[in-house]
Amino acid sequence: MQNIITYLTLFFTALVMQAQTETTGTANATPTKYQQGMNKAFQLWQEDKSWDAANVFERIATAEPDNWLPPYYVAQINVINSFTEKDPAKLKSQLDKAQNFINDATAISKDNPDLLVLQAQLYTAWIVFDGQQYGMTYSPKASELYNKALALAPDNPRIILAKAEWDMGGAKYFGQSIEPYCKDIQRAIDLFATFKPAGEFYPAYGEERAKQIQAESCK
Amino acid sequence: MKISVITFFTLFSPFIIFGQNIIEGIVTDNSGTPIIGANVYIEGSYDGASSDDNGKFSFETSETGTQTLTISYVSFEAFKLTDDVSKMKNLKIVLRDDVNSLETVTISAGSFSAGDNSKISVLKPLDIVTTASALGDFVGALQTLPGTTTVAEDGRLFVRGGDAGETQIFIDGIRVFTPYSPTTDNIPTRGRYSPFLFDGITFSTGGYSAEYGQALSSVLLLNTIDEPTQEKTDIAIMSVGGGLGHTEKWEKSSLSLNASYINLAPYIAILPDRNDWQKPFETASGEAVFRQKIGDGLLKVYGAFDTSNFALTQEDVNQPEGVRFKLNNQNFYTNASFSEMLKNDWTIFAGGSYTYGNTKVGIDESDIKDVENSAHFKLKLKKRFSNRFKLNFGAEQFVTDFNENYDEPNFAAKLGFNNNISAAFTEADIIFSRKLALKLGVRGEYSEMFKEFTVSPRASFAYKTGKNSQLSLAYGDFFQQPENEVLKFTNDLEAQHTQHYIMNYQYSANNRIFRAEVYRKQYSNLVTYNEAMPDVNSIFDNSGDGYAQGLDIFWRDNETLKNIDYWVSYSYLDTERKYKNFPIEATPSFANTHNLSVVAKYWINDWKSQIGFSYQYGSGRTYTDLNEPGFLQKKTKGYNSVSLNWAYLLSQQKILYFSINNAFAFKNVNGYQYANTPDSNGNFARRELRPAADQFFFVGFFWTISDDKKDNQLDNL
Repeated sequence: MQNIITYLTLFFTALVMQAQTETTGTANATPTKYQQGMNKAFQLWQEDKSWDAANVFERIATAEPDNWLPPYYVAQINVINSFTEKDPAKLKSQLDKAQNFINDATAISKDNPDLLVLQAQLYTAWIVFDGQQYGMTYSPKASELYNKALALAPDNPRIILAKAEWDMGGAKYFGQSIEPYCKDIQRAIDLFATFKPAGEFYPAYGEERAKQIQAESCK
Repeated sequence: MKISVITFFTLFSPFIIFGQNIIEGIVTDNSGTPIIGANVYIEGSYDGASSDDNGKFSFETSETGTQTLTISYVSFEAFKLTDDVSKMKNLKIVLRDDVNSLETVTISAGSFSAGDNSKISVLKPLDIVTTASALGDFVGALQTLPGTTTVAEDGRLFVRGGDAGETQIFIDGIRVFTPYSPTTDNIPTRGRYSPFLFDGITFSTGGYSAEYGQALSSVLLLNTIDEPTQEKTDIAIMSVGGGLGHTEKWEKSSLSLNASYINLAPYIAILPDRNDWQKPFETASGEAVFRQKIGDGLLKVYGAFDTSNFALTQEDVNQPEGVRFKLNNQNFYTNASFSEMLKNDWTIFAGGSYTYGNTKVGIDESDIKDVENSAHFKLKLKKRFSNRFKLNFGAEQFVTDFNENYDEPNFAAKLGFNNNISAAFTEADIIFSRKLALKLGVRGEYSEMFKEFTVSPRASFAYKTGKNSQLSLAYGDFFQQPENEVLKFTNDLEAQHTQHYIMNYQYSANNRIFRAEVYRKQYSNLVTYNEAMPDVNSIFDNSGDGYAQGLDIFWRDNETLKNIDYWVSYSYLDTERKYKNFPIEATPSFANTHNLSVVAKYWINDWKSQIGFSYQYGSGRTYTDLNEPGFLQKKTKGYNSVSLNWAYLLSQQKILYFSINNAFAFKNVNGYQYANTPDSNGNFARRELRPAADQFFFVGFFWTISDDKKDNQLDNL
């Protein structure tokens, strides 16, 4: 059984997160401390210094206790880096830390589809690490989170993509048609074209990943 | 004077005007090794830095006055320094290990757990149910762990030289009074509860926490699922019956229902066994768990009802026509618990259970009717002073009311008793460092029936000997009241007593676990009586005693062989006791010297199948040969059984399952029954006690219907 789950989850591991590249801060106005901090963090992240970026986000989180974005990014960096972590002690520490920041962010912004997806990815990190041990518990939890996120944001391309990618893995393994999920991915790509983040520094990644999956699996 | 004032201003005014202070220092761990990448910042500001490759940090801040500097790094406890910013120079920060880490030592002496994040997990959640010999009974899976004895004809857990009654089962911390369906000689029983509703199992073979009492040898702790993951329906169609399960979720609550019906009549019609069944085993059961979130608390209500009946004639060496036996049992168990995290790191837990058991047994002409009403209430508080010090304390009450009516054509009797036990316990968890942890507890119990107060100290200790290895020690005193079979005749007794001494070594790395445990158990105050079967006229006292000592070894490896996960358990047991009507100290017939289990699971990706294998060996068990002098002086031949199973995934949610127990049809003899009187040559005739059937076959189809179309019942097999 462990292998089924490991196999399934391999499809989800490569959910490449591109750092936020565009900031919508107007050039004229003097950037606020918040904008400066966030820009610096994203810059570090792009320079492949993700842990330094996480540190900056963590600092901003303490200074901006009512903003869910800084804790969201702290958690996201810890989750992404966990997918390749092989040391169980380190993995647990990182995912515990990520969980704390997801909890903080959720306390600020309830029923936030991006946070639900991140929570599902945190569970996926455990499943990838040891499918036999964690698959049975976390796999249905992750499914439920994707369903809930999609119900909250049916037209958000990033949520459509994340759920389609998750479902596709299972369908592929059992030789079932992935056609419906390819349709979802096409829909996500169409929606990305007009997608506007809800605000400055809001998550906006996903388009490239959607195209990559389409190229690999749907053509 | 004037000059110095000016000098002062000249020197310091830039800082006052621009408010720029430089904060700098170094971060290391306990051993002085620099920590790279620690986050150092003034709380609530944007000012901070990460420590460099030498653990050094330096940054400017515009904050002034008294501020809090936070230094955090993953897997270390965050450090906070509150001081005037101008004094934050040349800081030497030493971060302490976060003991809430996988690298922290855990107290593992005596206990096995199956679960997700447990650091001492030896079984994974799936194993409870995918073990070939277990047939979906979690007790069957636990019998592949060291410390248990193979008593194939019984089905209950016999732990380290202890009788089956010395193991107690708890659901959500609350006692289950009648965990097994009653049965008769040579028909193994099963656990009543389906594995479907539980997500955490801890099996302790000794030295357990002060929270648990009334168990001389062992406790099995089952936790129901806090929050089901999704709504789903499970359908099972089996060669021996069927089952239906459904889970429904709402905003703050959820309900899981599970019903099953088993009837062995068709099976026995096709494959008759050694018994002459008038009414083959039939049981219907239903279970429900309701969960409701109340604020930050969680209320769980669990209920289980089952009814079973059968009638048969069993061979008997004293009665050529056989012994007629029939049984009819109804059992209801309910359990409710509430737990909530309160302010200031307090946690409260309150729970209670009620059991109603009604058993009617007919043996030839006699009829026995037992009614048991039992309840258990518990209140527990936990205070977390820090990650390193936690305190638990609580109180509980056990109430049992037992009545029996015994009728045969020329004799009738009414028996019964009330047994109330009050208990209080407290326990402290102290973690000195990632390397050293200690648990100290004490439990006091008062028995109203015996007017007796007992005190049981418990202590365990763990020390990390290397990166992947640890050593644990445990000691404890355990008391348990005699069983119903004795209490219904007398209340002029005392609690039975054992002391456990345990030393455990555990090594785990890279999906491999090795455990070795040596133990010594000292029994005293065991109940003795002067007749073969106790009755109203028997003389009872507490003059029995005994010991058990041995070595348990466990090895599990999921790494070496591709797609194969296997474990091996070996137990060596040396035990003798004087109890019941034993004339001398002897090894009881449920104990043997060597036990070996090998369990393997092989996943074949191309076939979407899991093949399971399990082998069990138990060396011979004692029996009394009436034709020679002595008591329990002979041993049977060893027990051997190989079980195989095959789970095939038809599709993601449909599974076909086959299993066969004792695939090679080894002839096993569990013991001998001797005639009550010798024949004309002065010889006592005897009869082999063989299992009702040498082999058992099982076919099932399991179908899960859920929204995600992913979930299946592999975890129920």
